Amino acid sequence: MSAVLHAPVPPSAPVRELRGRWWRFAVILAVTVVALVPIGVVLLLSILPGSTSSTTGLTLEHFVYVFGHTLATTWIQNSLMTTLVTVVVSVVVAAPAGYVLSRGRSKVVSGYSLLLFVLQSLPIITAVVPLFILFADFGLADSLVGLTIVYVAATMAVATWMMAAYFDSIPVSLEEAAWIDGLSVFGSFLRVVLRNSLPGILSTAIFAFLLSWNDYLVALVFLRTDVNFTLPIGVQSFFQQNSIDWGSVMALAVVMMLPPVVVFAALNRYFSVGGIGGSLAGR
Amino acid sequence: MTTVTGGLARARRGVSPGGHGARRRPSTLKSQTRRTYLGMLIPSVVLLVLINGYPLVYAAVQATHNGSLIQAGDFVGLDNFTTVLTSAAFWRAARFTLIFTLVGVFGSWAIGLALALLLRTNIPGRGLFKVLLLLPWVVPIVVSSTAWNWLVATADSPVPRLFEALGFARPLFLADPVLAGVLVCVFKVWISFPFMMMMAAGALASVDDTLYEAASIDGASRSQQFVQITLPLIARPTYISWILMTVFCVNDFPTIYLLTTGGPVDATTSLVVFAYRTVFQDFQTGPGVAVAFLMTVTLVFVSVTLYRQIRRAHVE
Repeated sequence: MSAVLHAPVPPSAPVRELRGRWWRFAVILAVTVVALVPIGVVLLLSILPGSTSSTTGLTLEHFVYVFGHTLATTWIQNSLMTTLVTVVVSVVVAAPAGYVLSRGRSKVVSGYSLLLFVLQSLPIITAVVPLFILFADFGLADSLVGLTIVYVAATMAVATWMMAAYFDSIPVSLEEAAWIDGLSVFGSFLRVVLRNSLPGILSTAIFAFLLSWNDYLVALVFLRTDVNFTLPIGVQSFFQQNSIDWGSVMALAVVMMLPPVVVFAALNRYFSVGGIGGSLAGR
Repeated sequence: MTTVTGGLARARRGVSPGGHGARRRPSTLKSQTRRTYLGMLIPSVVLLVLINGYPLVYAAVQATHNGSLIQAGDFVGLDNFTTVLTSAAFWRAARFTLIFTLVGVFGSWAIGLALALLLRTNIPGRGLFKVLLLLPWVVPIVVSSTAWNWLVATADSPVPRLFEALGFARPLFLADPVLAGVLVCVFKVWISFPFMMMMAAGALASVDDTLYEAASIDGASRSQQFVQITLPLIARPTYISWILMTVFCVNDFPTIYLLTTGGPVDATTSLVVFAYRTVFQDFQTGPGVAVAFLMTVTLVFVSVTLYRQIRRAHVE
């Protein structure tokens, strides 16, 4: 009888399994809570009144101050512009190159692939110093145009690779059908391959977005005047004053982390791919 | 998850997908196709040559000259390298880079793998945890370093107070060389564990569950199963994630600079920070670029090794 067979096994398997389940739940909950403390701190400090403030409870005074009395709006515009241009140009340049990497079969193409792989692992500081000197000659050193050019170049290796990897997953038979219909190679790339590559394009775009939105080093070297600052440098500029106004810092920090978090929430799947690509570039 | 496989699949295949026999096309079209390919490749080649290639060459020039940010200076051969390689500050930076990298790679790997294993089991709300645990890596470093600063910077910050409440002396994280080093490493692990978690989750997803059933029928304990089944099966992706994280750690500037600016004195100065400070704070362009150059050589070596490794992994 099954009841007899089960009886001698003490509280046993299912119960222990259940207990283990809750134990694991507790562990992961604790880790998550601890890991999110710094992010909670940013959110909380941005809405708590400052020490000199008369208000109690939660407040938006820091946001009002940051937008009214600092260059925050300019910095946001600067960041948005550089990021937008970087994303568009990266995809436009990397997509065709990625296509060649995916479909081409010559020694040159495989050499180029290895070159891209090596370039993506190089420390950006090696390129930044010479570029700073070169750009200074053209008036591009303390400029968003110069910054954007560096970002586009910095995304190029990984973006090309990501596009190529995606094109690999698109069957060549699709293009062959288009060729028979009289389309050129480039025509079929535009109308057949690209049209079917939205996920690949999105991942690449997210990668370029993260790289330019989060960059600190290049902006730190290039940007000198406060009206040219991007958000990372803007946030940091609050630290140069003698007493740090934490409320303002955190309010601007919230503004800065909003776009990546929103994109992450909305495009979770592509974000993972794009973000790991982003990590490939070493942030 | 396409994860790194996305990019790395390229290396693995050594470029072209090839082998599509049906793709043979009339040879009259071939030269035309080649021209189209060339045209499609040119914009990216031009960008790479101008913005990556030119600076590398120029960096080589700078590394062998005694110039500044304004003047090219005179050719001094390998003097800059001699200066750098004989300076104690360089070796301190190299040593800290090594520690930072080892802790960054294996710390984030251990935590990431543990979390990935936990999240494989049937925990309530695991979908939510998966998303929340990625946040430290999603949030810009400029933002998270600000929060960490607030948490630890002065004796009156919350974390030192917490230490006091637990019966210790209030630690001054940014003033003590050892504590500052620990802090930067912990910060790096905090930023990086989500990446390792995703890599590990991707690797674990390919492990066949029936292997564990078979093993537990044979009486293997959980830990035996982990050491003898799980680890060997995810060895290859794990190895790749280690090398990638090594490259990220060695190249990492903001994590260190935003938290400690390389201090106190130069206790947390890694090679990147050292190169930056030498060029932009001490205005010693030659030696600074020489440091960057030495790093470049090392990283080219690491990445070519990785490239080979991935290709070999595919062959096996």
